[in-house]
Amino acid sequence: MTIQKTLAGTSLTVAPEGRLDTITSPQFESELRADMNAVTDLVFDLANLTYISSAGLRVLLSAQKAMNKKGTMVLRNVRPEIMEIFEITGFSSILTIE
Amino acid sequence: MQTKKTISGTFLKWLLLIVGVAFAVSMVFSWTLQTRLSEKSAHHLLRLNIADVRQDVIDASDANLLALTRDIAAEIDAGAPIDEAGLLTLMAHHDVAEINIIDPSGIITSTTHPDFLNYDMRSGKQSAEFLGLLDGTEREHVQSYQPTSYDPSLLRKYAGVCLAGGGFVEVAYDAERFQRDIDHQIVGVTRNRHVGENGCIIIADENWNIVSDRHENEGANLVVTGIWIDRDTMPESDVFTATVYGKESSCMYVFSEGYYIVAVLPENEILLQRDTSVGLTAILEVLVFLTLFGVIFLLVRKLVVNNLNRVNTSLSKITDGDLEEKVDVRSNTEFAELSDDINATVGTLKQYISAAAARIDRELALAKSIQQSALPSVFPPYPDRTDVSLYATMDAAKEVGGDFYDFYLLDENRLAFLVADVSGKGIPAAMFMMTGKTVLRDYAERGDSPAEIAENANAKLCEGNDAEMFVTAWMGFLETDTGLVRFVNAGHNPPVLIRDGAASFVPQKANLTLAAMEGVPYREQTLKLRPGDLLFLYTDGVTEAANAAEELFGNDRLREALSKRFGSGEAAVRAVCGTVKEALDAFTGDAPQFDDITMLCLYYAGNNTLTVTAKTDELPAVTGFINRALEGLGCPKEAAAQIDVASEEIFANIANYAYEGEPGEVTIRVRGEGDSAVIEFRDRGIPFNPLEKPDPDVTLPAEEREIGGLGIFMVKKSMDDVAYQRENDENVLTIRKNFSK
Repeated sequence: MTIQKTLAGTSLTVAPEGRLDTITSPQFESELRADMNAVTDLVFDLANLTYISSAGLRVLLSAQKAMNKKGTMVLRNVRPEIMEIFEITGFSSILTIE
Repeated sequence: MQTKKTISGTFLKWLLLIVGVAFAVSMVFSWTLQTRLSEKSAHHLLRLNIADVRQDVIDASDANLLALTRDIAAEIDAGAPIDEAGLLTLMAHHDVAEINIIDPSGIITSTTHPDFLNYDMRSGKQSAEFLGLLDGTEREHVQSYQPTSYDPSLLRKYAGVCLAGGGFVEVAYDAERFQRDIDHQIVGVTRNRHVGENGCIIIADENWNIVSDRHENEGANLVVTGIWIDRDTMPESDVFTATVYGKESSCMYVFSEGYYIVAVLPENEILLQRDTSVGLTAILEVLVFLTLFGVIFLLVRKLVVNNLNRVNTSLSKITDGDLEEKVDVRSNTEFAELSDDINATVGTLKQYISAAAARIDRELALAKSIQQSALPSVFPPYPDRTDVSLYATMDAAKEVGGDFYDFYLLDENRLAFLVADVSGKGIPAAMFMMTGKTVLRDYAERGDSPAEIAENANAKLCEGNDAEMFVTAWMGFLETDTGLVRFVNAGHNPPVLIRDGAASFVPQKANLTLAAMEGVPYREQTLKLRPGDLLFLYTDGVTEAANAAEELFGNDRLREALSKRFGSGEAAVRAVCGTVKEALDAFTGDAPQFDDITMLCLYYAGNNTLTVTAKTDELPAVTGFINRALEGLGCPKEAAAQIDVASEEIFANIANYAYEGEPGEVTIRVRGEGDSAVIEFRDRGIPFNPLEKPDPDVTLPAEEREIGGLGIFMVKKSMDDVAYQRENDENVLTIRKNFSK
């Protein structure tokens, strides 16, 4: 998986590409954590995320929890199959999906 | 076909022939004997009558001459002169032929015949007969008409009477005088005389003038009667035949005292006696022979034919295989011995047969075990492989058969399997089968392609195939990773492909059977198996199994029996063979099995099993494997994506929690079941049922959410069925996802 990060001031846009699974999630989480401290607006561009498992969900959940304390978190361009998982797991109710 | 004669028939024929000959011989004998007897008695009768008449004639003439001689003697005693002149006077007076005076010394002292003077009576036999008159032994003597001693050409009848003064006078008739003298007396002799019933006596004088005849032909010539006598050629007292008064007659004559005395007896009278006698004998003989014939025939039937029939009846039973049958004909010694001998022979035969049968049974049992051991018989053959399951049976009609199956791994990824059928049955087929099996395997292991194997095996089997046997075979190589089967069919029945519960025959181009003709090409074909497919190979013992009505099981019944779902793996291949066997048994009923029945079933699971170490590092391999497998099942993308997620959750779960310390293995199997995909996860970790974990509350705000249990929750949500089992110390988690293709 590749992760594109675009940092503009306190606004960070993260665009993961490929699969966010048990193996890739720890890498994704550490990438995110590295830039999280100063960020107030976190944007996930999920246009190229084709797969997410509970491990990925866990990263998203912890990011959401962190951002709830200091700013906003938005998910953009969510693919239907990913959306379905959010629906199933009830994540669609806690995430901000545009 | 030549018709054999029955004993009674032959016997009857010969008996009839012998009786006929005996009858004929006895008839001829009887006829000859009776003819002789009749003739003899006829001759005797003729002779008696002649003698009778002759005696009458002689008596008559004797009396006459003696009376004359007495008169002359009386006259001489009275003093009549006895000189020659005196005697001549007497001779003329008494009309005799001769008078002699013989003195007491037997010398003729005076005679009318000067030549006789001084003739001594002792000097001739005829004259010596009169000497009795001189010694006083008789007073008178008379002779028959006969030649004189003095001159045998001179015939005379003499009578002598003693004279008072000694000596005697002898008086003679000559022929003429004699006949004149007695003719009138003879006339009456034959009047009332019959010879037999209708025979008669005819008397004729020297000149053939009939003197006496019952038919009143006196005076006529003898010829009128039909009799002809030639004294030179026809001796007296011999029988001759003549037609006398129109009747064929036996006749006899004597010439006596100057007369022909002929006795006549009609032939039919002689023959009547014979015929009566022979007829009577014939009737008696016919009666005797008929009785004899009947008695012998019945005896033969009773003693021989009936007993033979009983023996034959028993022998027929024995010939038909009933060696327990005993021959028991005890009505006489010979048949009792025959019965004992046959029983003893059958007993000995039985011993030999059972000994031979036991030996053959032992050898066949050994041959059977050798043959059986030549066929792979350990099932499942590859317990470690999950991609392929295989099961096969060979059910020989006799102890050993010509069918065979075989299978072997050529390498990790190629399985060779085949079914073949040698023409014929029994030991020759079994021996050819062993050769065929070895040859096919040799070429397969050398690395030949199926078509090459067929061609090479064909060439090899054609060599020295004097028995002209041949083999049909279907041989395929399965590439286990792709499901591709490269096969060659040498005149064999097409296999049945069972896919999604539907059976169909594998389309094919048939080649010539193996060992039939050298140098023929064999074409290879391919067949792509999908995971879940079953391929059923068999021999014609299946399709050509017959029921009591002699109907064949046939392709349609086979396809029908196989058109259903058999599940997967080991159970499926056994179920397929079992189903066909049951269908065959139900179809054939009690009808005997005529041909070897061989079945081989292969289940292709596809390379849909993966065993990896339970480490999250293996996840790409796991998901990659599952995705490929789903692709093979034709799983739609959306479903595949969901399965993907679910699989990851389960595998991650196992990787993280199943094993404490050193991680163990996880085996993942993907299979299609109709319109659904089934994925099975097996690990040997600590028993753990993730489904028991309560579902997370997905309505809580983010801060209160727990991430644990979410994975399993996702699995439950996205899959149509999730099941956990603890099986053989394994955790088995199975998920099912339905999809429509």
